[in-house]
Amino acid sequence: MTAAYSGWIIAAALLLALAGIVTAVRDKSMGVVLLAGLALLEVALLVQAGIALAGLDHVRNKATFIGYLAGTLVIPPAAVWWGMAERTRWGPGVIAVAGFTVAVMTGRLMQIWNGAA
Amino acid sequence: MTQGDRQVRSGPGRLLVAVYGVFALAATSRAGVQIATKFAEAPLAYLLSAFAGIVYIVLTVALARNNRRLALVACAIELAGVLIVGTLSLVDSQAFPDATVWSGFGSGYGFVPLVLPVFGLIWLLRRRPAS
Repeated sequence: MTAAYSGWIIAAALLLALAGIVTAVRDKSMGVVLLAGLALLEVALLVQAGIALAGLDHVRNKATFIGYLAGTLVIPPAAVWWGMAERTRWGPGVIAVAGFTVAVMTGRLMQIWNGAA
Repeated sequence: MTQGDRQVRSGPGRLLVAVYGVFALAATSRAGVQIATKFAEAPLAYLLSAFAGIVYIVLTVALARNNRRLALVACAIELAGVLIVGTLSLVDSQAFPDATVWSGFGSGYGFVPLVLPVFGLIWLLRRRPAS
């Protein structure tokens, strides 16, 4: 993992969370923008997971690291599923939570990667 | 009001399910790691950590399955838990050398654990079934 790449993921996830909040405030359900954003985020997270797993020897606390890694991969699809099921402003609300969670989890991944407990 | 309007899991409730789901995962896995690797260091704190995780799991499932009564009970336990553990962690910090979700009133998690049960209770109480 590199700080530059994961930094971009954190920024993108936060941007997506912001888009979710804006959509919820405007009282709209999930549209193409949020859907595409979640898809792009998932692709970026898959790449990050690939990079991270390739350098797994680097990590001391492997179980926690893989747990967070798997968590980030599961969240965007779950958010898409709920965005489609909940056709009110609360669908994008869930997407906002998902974006924020991915950002926090990626931050934790960086910390573990860099040797923090 | 239609049946759907009375559900605790739809609308804002879905947001609660999402946040509780994240906390259920976070708290349970954290407690699992703590208990598996260093239980002897702070047994009380780690057991409370695990208890918090279980409460979050129960809440997630209860909300997702529209079980309003169970969700209410779990929410009340959650609020009591965060207040009691939060106070204890400040009074007797020796028993809590490693933070749990509820220590310091959830300060390690942006105080979300303190705010969450309040929102949960408000939401559940406003969704009182029509008698």
